[in-house]
Amino acid sequence: MITTTNLTKKYADHLALNNLNLTVKPGEIYCLLGANGAGKTTTINLLLGFISASSGTASIGGIDVSKNALASKKLLAYIPENLMLYPSLTAVENLDYFSGIAGKKFSKLALEEFLENAGLQADAFHKRVEAFSKGMRQKVGIAIALAKDASALLLDEPTSGLDPKASNEFGLLLQKLKAKGIATLMATHDLFRAKEVATHIGIMKNGELIHQFVSDEISLADLEKVYLEAMTY
Amino acid sequence: MILKTFKKELKEITRDGRARIAFSIVLVLLGSSVWISAKRYQDTNKEYQQALSSERAMWDNQGEKNPHSAAHFGTYAFKPKYPLSLIDQGVDKYAGTSIFLEAHNRNEAQFSAAADQTGLARFGELTPDFVLLFMVPLLIILLAYNVFTKEREMGTLTLLKSQGLSRVKWFTGKWLALMVPILSLTLVVFILAGLVLSNLKGFGEFQWSALGVLFLVYAAYYVVFTNVVMFISSRARKSGTALVMSLSVWILACLAAPKAASNFAENEHPYPSRQEFLAMVAEDKKQGLDGHNPWSKEAKLLEQEVLKEYGVDSLHQLPFNFDAYRMQKGEEHEAEVYFKHYNYLKEQYKNQSKTYRSLAVISPFLPTRFMSMAIAHTDYNTHWDFADAAEEYRILTQKFLNDNFAENSKLGEWGYQADASLWQELPAFEYDPPELQQIVSDNRGNTAVLSFWLVGSFVLSLLSIKRI
Repeated sequence: MITTTNLTKKYADHLALNNLNLTVKPGEIYCLLGANGAGKTTTINLLLGFISASSGTASIGGIDVSKNALASKKLLAYIPENLMLYPSLTAVENLDYFSGIAGKKFSKLALEEFLENAGLQADAFHKRVEAFSKGMRQKVGIAIALAKDASALLLDEPTSGLDPKASNEFGLLLQKLKAKGIATLMATHDLFRAKEVATHIGIMKNGELIHQFVSDEISLADLEKVYLEAMTY
Repeated sequence: MILKTFKKELKEITRDGRARIAFSIVLVLLGSSVWISAKRYQDTNKEYQQALSSERAMWDNQGEKNPHSAAHFGTYAFKPKYPLSLIDQGVDKYAGTSIFLEAHNRNEAQFSAAADQTGLARFGELTPDFVLLFMVPLLIILLAYNVFTKEREMGTLTLLKSQGLSRVKWFTGKWLALMVPILSLTLVVFILAGLVLSNLKGFGEFQWSALGVLFLVYAAYYVVFTNVVMFISSRARKSGTALVMSLSVWILACLAAPKAASNFAENEHPYPSRQEFLAMVAEDKKQGLDGHNPWSKEAKLLEQEVLKEYGVDSLHQLPFNFDAYRMQKGEEHEAEVYFKHYNYLKEQYKNQSKTYRSLAVISPFLPTRFMSMAIAHTDYNTHWDFADAAEEYRILTQKFLNDNFAENSKLGEWGYQADASLWQELPAFEYDPPELQQIVSDNRGNTAVLSFWLVGSFVLSLLSIKRI
């Protein structure tokens, strides 16, 4: 569902991403681990079509992002590290607007249902999001993804800055999305959460994917060891 | 998406305390200025009606009198206050409201409102045109300066783009959310002014069509401002920068450009000083016939010409009073002198306007201001038109009086007194300002410049869309 083939991004003389090949199938959660500048966010930005590739292809559902950005965006949802919403609008109003941008139209009841499925408390549905915590905003982000009925989900450090409880709730939500057959690519620093939610894990360094694992086939301790070694040398 | 964005933007505007306060301030300012102007308009017109009837009564009731004495007694041509001056007072305050019409002299309009005010008037007045031309663009800036920068700063733009944002529709929704409140506010004020004016009986002819055209002019002005500010917001990285740049545009367009253009136009085509002008008129007058001086070379020449024309040896044999005839010829010479010199002034004014108009490409304020004053009948063109009509009436009056004198008395009969009923035979002065169609046609240049701004600002909008 999410595929990159020899995906490369160069900035002048800096190679941000080098020949990345990865595939995330429906119902899989692929976690990209790596230090800052490893190329995780560049990968996500290329898949979103925010930047163009120097070579190689990025595709969502078989649609080349660089050739048909709008069509590929219809299939995907994105939750950035710090999901920002319109502070003077309520959760329902934000969801309604972002869904509208994606060309979807829902009743108030349906919107509330999406928020409920995303784990937001009912008493927050009609409150302005200006006072929402990051965790609550991430839940609205998940609701936006649910409402979009996306088949691919791109997450850029979504648990960064969340308290353990919120982070755990977020992990459970991802499992729900996985069960729905959504292909998820998540960039993260959080080894523990990656091991917990991912079906596949990749480690990136200096724009290259240097290790790939099936999550069930590696223990957290081994993963940590490989990761630290990769980061050290 | 357009409707969704429109509704969402409106919600944000209505929930933003700053926008609510700014809107309320502008609404209160507009409401108060219309009320103040309406009050002044009523008072001025009442005074106009009173002055008109009392002045005419004085003229009609002069009693038996020599016509030339009546010519020196004189009368006034009053300039009415036109209904749309309630929206734009233009140069009315400075141009004077009445012209004294007398024998031998063409006088300037006097009794301007500015002359009746104290030094405090230098601080300016709260008038609808001030709010419409200066304050509403400021409101536009306040609402629009961060229309795109806030999306970047908040990070919502990234999420929007990932949702498959159509930039054109998104831009259109935002544009409508800015234009609808601004135009609604303006429309409400115009309708309010229209209702006030249409309910004032006997105070000039009010035309909804003129008010409609005036509204369109202001709407175009606001569209230009909105597009420019949105363009700035699309290019600026930060809201603060966008605000400073937008305010700079406002200062340049609304404050600096009109003054600079006015200085430049005056410099290019200067008016003579009042002293120079009067000296030139006096000099030219001296070169021709003085109706009061029967001994001058010109008077003697006229005498010979008339005697020859009528085939008589003596002025006594003429079928009319030659003294009055000479007086009329003197008037005609003086009128020609005035015509020549005022035409020069008018030409200079036209050249200044032309220069000013050519500078209108530097600011949409200039064509808007010109057209607004023209439609409201408060511009210099209307004032010139009125002054010309008054001069024409003065010439006709002098001819009417001199003819009576010439036809009903004998040479040297300076004691002749016309019948008391004669004065009522002189038709009252009437002045009709240019029709709306004429004004629109005369302002083709300004319309073209404003249209240029309008088209140019939409080109900027296209660039804004590309930049998002």
